[in-house]
Amino acid sequence: MKKNIRWLIIIGLAVLLATGLTYFDSFMYHDPVVKIEKIKINNKQTATDEYKNTDTQITQQITGKLLNSNNRGKSVTFKNTYYKSQLVDTKYSVGQQVILAKSGKTYTPKNVKRDTTLVFTFGLVIFLLYCMRFDRKKLFISVLINIVIYFGYLQTLIRTHNSILLPLTVITALLISATALLVILGPTYPALMAYSSTVISTTTAVLLSIFVLSMTGYSGVHLELDDFELQPYLSVFLSQVIFSVLGVILDETMDISSSLIEMKSEVSDVAEKTLFKSGINIGREFIGPLINILLFIVIAENLNVVLLYLSNGNSIGYTINMTLSLGITQLLISAIGIVLTVPVTSFIASRVITRRMK
Amino acid sequence: MLYLFATFVVLLLLVTGTRGFTLLFGLGINIVSILALLVLIADGFNILITTGIISMIILVVAIYMNVDNPNTASTAFKTSLMIMIFIILITIPLEYWASVQGLAAENQDELESFSLAAGISFPQLAIAIIVINSLGVISETSVAITSGLNEIVVNKPTLTPTEIFNDGFSVGNKILNTQTNTLLFNFFASTFPLFFLIHSLGYKFGDILNDKLVVAEVLTTLICTVGVILTVPITSYLVYKKANKKLQKVK
Repeated sequence: MKKNIRWLIIIGLAVLLATGLTYFDSFMYHDPVVKIEKIKINNKQTATDEYKNTDTQITQQITGKLLNSNNRGKSVTFKNTYYKSQLVDTKYSVGQQVILAKSGKTYTPKNVKRDTTLVFTFGLVIFLLYCMRFDRKKLFISVLINIVIYFGYLQTLIRTHNSILLPLTVITALLISATALLVILGPTYPALMAYSSTVISTTTAVLLSIFVLSMTGYSGVHLELDDFELQPYLSVFLSQVIFSVLGVILDETMDISSSLIEMKSEVSDVAEKTLFKSGINIGREFIGPLINILLFIVIAENLNVVLLYLSNGNSIGYTINMTLSLGITQLLISAIGIVLTVPVTSFIASRVITRRMK
Repeated sequence: MLYLFATFVVLLLLVTGTRGFTLLFGLGINIVSILALLVLIADGFNILITTGIISMIILVVAIYMNVDNPNTASTAFKTSLMIMIFIILITIPLEYWASVQGLAAENQDELESFSLAAGISFPQLAIAIIVINSLGVISETSVAITSGLNEIVVNKPTLTPTEIFNDGFSVGNKILNTQTNTLLFNFFASTFPLFFLIHSLGYKFGDILNDKLVVAEVLTTLICTVGVILTVPITSYLVYKKANKKLQKVK
């Protein structure tokens, strides 16, 4: 116990130290960084637009001290204009560190310095993990390997100019799910079972969905409205579907197959058919919650744009069509995958368990 | 898309039988709640309060409709509610500190032809986004841990609090791993187009580290992970308290 507390103090201090360092790391920045000391509001204008939205435009005159560059310590003044709703602009407040852009002698605000918050939140997660008796090693290893794989994926993507996106995604998906399973279950039969069912269910769901969608010529699916209009549209969309559903399906296959293995160990002469049936029974319970997880993630991701559309006088039907149709299609494909996983995993697990595990 | 929906319904009913109707009904309620949330926020209701209320409705539906055992359901609901409030509480300072609300320069194409004076508080919306993002993960985690723990407690009613916490963590370990995977892979799904764009814009490492959209995505993933982590001790504590009460009644 004492050792535990010592570790906790060390981790806590390390987190505080790292957060503190990012607070003073402005010397590493190429652009001038300023710490805001005084703000004066110059101008306030409230206006109501054609859609009856009332918003206030505010101009701040900001004075602060430069934290880096040759003029360190010097006071600078710049202006910032923002709407009270802060969709794309930002209200600055005293104490904040802001990255500036310099042109000639005038400074303009470029970005809030966010690295301190980032490091702090990351540290909070690590600290909480150390507060409790989790098996951290496994978690860290699998997250780290997966991030490295993702980094490699991004690098290859950039080097190939996004030309082999889909095959690259498939390879990456195969790698990250293998990593996750190997770290959690180890190189065992259950891991192999879960892996093959994940691959089969995901592939079937995606292929089936492409078939159904192409039958109707992708009507009602605005593939061209993906994030940042990255091309090729279909590959980008399918890659997002695959990544987003993978974690959920892994969860599902692991749960079903481990329950069936447990059942086999309790009743050693259980028939293949009984196992399959109970697999379906157990799997049924997962479908609702797992679809919910993805539903809320998809909605949350698009909330900003949805409300921008709504506030610009668009009807809710048009808004959903323009902003959520991709997300809903993604969700439907994922849902099909989640449903298919139940019989696929039950089938594979019941066969493997009765033949291979004595 | 209609055909895709039909495919989903047919498969769902084939696999789950009549239970599929309950599932569809639950999903339907959730979608209606979300629509209500959108309309209310667009009409100018307070974003945080509206999100809180709608999230509570969603949690009730997500937990009570998917869990048959009322004992498990009530513990899971209490846990999720506490976690939700906690998430709101830590997200408020973090969001204001990082100011990662709304959209950014990278979204320029989407923003053309829109009036940006929307009259909606996007900093508050940013908090709502994280809360909604976490709802599914939290309810799933709390249900999984509660039902796992309850099963253990029912089989061995004489467990001490330390033993209950230990069991909670052994059940929680696996769930933490799988939920982190879900969150991480979803992070991959939503960020690879962003990183690709960022590269073509020639950002340096420092720019990426302070970029509004990147930081917003990372914060969402991290805060949801905090929610999952905290579910374990809170569930264990609630299960322990309940078991304790029962024991005293027997005496």
